[in-house]
This record gives sequence, structure tokens and C-alpha cells, in this order.
Amino acid sequence: MIRALGWLAVLGLLAGLAAGFGYAPREAVQGNVQRIMYLHVPSVLTAYLAFGLVLLGSVAYLATRRAGWDRLAGSAGEIGVLFTGLTLVSGSIWGKPTWGTWWTWDARLTSTAVLFLVYVGYLMLRQLIEDADTRARYAAVVGILGAVNIPIVHFSVKWWRTLHQPSTILGPEPAPIDPAIGIALLVNWIAFTLLFAYFLSRRMEIARLEEQA
Amino acid sequence: MPTNWSYVIAAYGIAALVLAGYWRHLARRRRALTARHPSRGRSA
Repeated sequence: MIRALGWLAVLGLLAGLAAGFGYAPREAVQGNVQRIMYLHVPSVLTAYLAFGLVLLGSVAYLATRRAGWDRLAGSAGEIGVLFTGLTLVSGSIWGKPTWGTWWTWDARLTSTAVLFLVYVGYLMLRQLIEDADTRARYAAVVGILGAVNIPIVHFSVKWWRTLHQPSTILGPEPAPIDPAIGIALLVNWIAFTLLFAYFLSRRMEIARLEEQA
Repeated sequence: MPTNWSYVIAAYGIAALVLAGYWRHLARRRRALTARHPSRGRSA
């Protein structure tokens, strides 16, 4: 089952590459560099999903004290850090030719970097505590507090004057983009979600095996 | 308008390395754990 999910994710990623490089047109203003968005946007949406699951697992663990919820939170946190890292790196590479700089202390960029560091801290905390119950309890509290940063990242482009453009998708208005670009984004979003589901299933399986070892 | 393909290749190249590396890390870790306890790794 998990293996089939992996193959499905690979097929999705291949379809995403075909959509982003074959189907979607070259963007009129940014040129080819806009194709980085087919990687950058799905990465951040996957990170939101992962950290949302950290919140869910953390709340559920504190309510039930069942180890499975802690495994979900810890596994999703690790994968969320991976995708947030990809978001920061791909955004930085896109920023150089588009904004003329690799990095600027813009509200969206800064809050995303803080989100990354908060969950790196979350993973470090999980490594530092040996007792499983204490680790799960402390991590759940950090997992809940860390989730406060997710709406700050998402709405930072509305709350502050930023260089980063407002939300194109997940925004209040319909996406003001060419339908072909929208479809390419959607295909890549689905592919990244499948990849996330595969990683999460495998990581939770490993966490279960580690507990039994 | 410059083509900027080098930036696109760099972004996708790094992403491919990171994602494939994590995929491999998970596969190796699972293999190591199931080799130690063969009966426990068959649920997938």
C-alpha cells in the first residue's frame, strides 16, 4: 500500500514536471524563472499541511495520551521542515533574478524563516528528551505553540506592506492567473501532497519500528 | 527578457537532490530496522 503510494507520487511528480515545463506557457513578465513557482508554491502548501498535522497530533496526544498521535506529530514535523527548507531555497533562487536579491527581511520571508526555525527547534527538542512520555508531552506543547506562526506566515502579505506578492491561491479572490498556469500549479500541488503522504506513511512506520526496537 | 534557465535548473536540481535524499534515507532506515526485526516490518 505504501509502496503503491510512492509510485503514485513519482507519477504525479512526472506529470507535474510535464505540466510545468511542457503545458504551462512561458510567463510574459518573469519568463522561465516563473516555472520555479511550480516547486515553490506546492512546497509551502505541503509545509502548511504538515504543520497542521503537527497541531492535530499534538492536541490529540494531550487529550488521549496515545503514542500514535505523537508519532503523527513528530513525523509530520520532520517532513514539514524539509518542505519549508525547499520553500525558502526555491524562493531565494527565484528572488535573485526577479527582485535582484537572494534575501530581504520582508514580512513573508522573515516569518517563513521563523516558522522553519521553530520547527527545527521542535525536532531538536524531540531528540533531547529520552523519556518517551515527557518527550511527547513537551513536544506537543511546542507543536501547538508553533502552529500560531502558520497564519502569521500566510496573512503576512495582507497584514504588512511586503515585497512578496499577495496570495495567488488560497486567497479571498479567484486566482488572477492564466488557466494553464493554474492547472500546472494544481497538478504539482497534488503531486507534492501524494509525496507528502508517502513520506509521512514511511516515517510513521519507521517511528513505530523504532519504538518496538 | 533573459531566459534565466540556470536559476530554474538550480531550484529543481536542489529540490530533486533533497527529496531523493530523504526518500533514500527513509528506505535505508526502514531496511535497517526490519532487518533487525523481520516480523515487524511486513505491515506495508
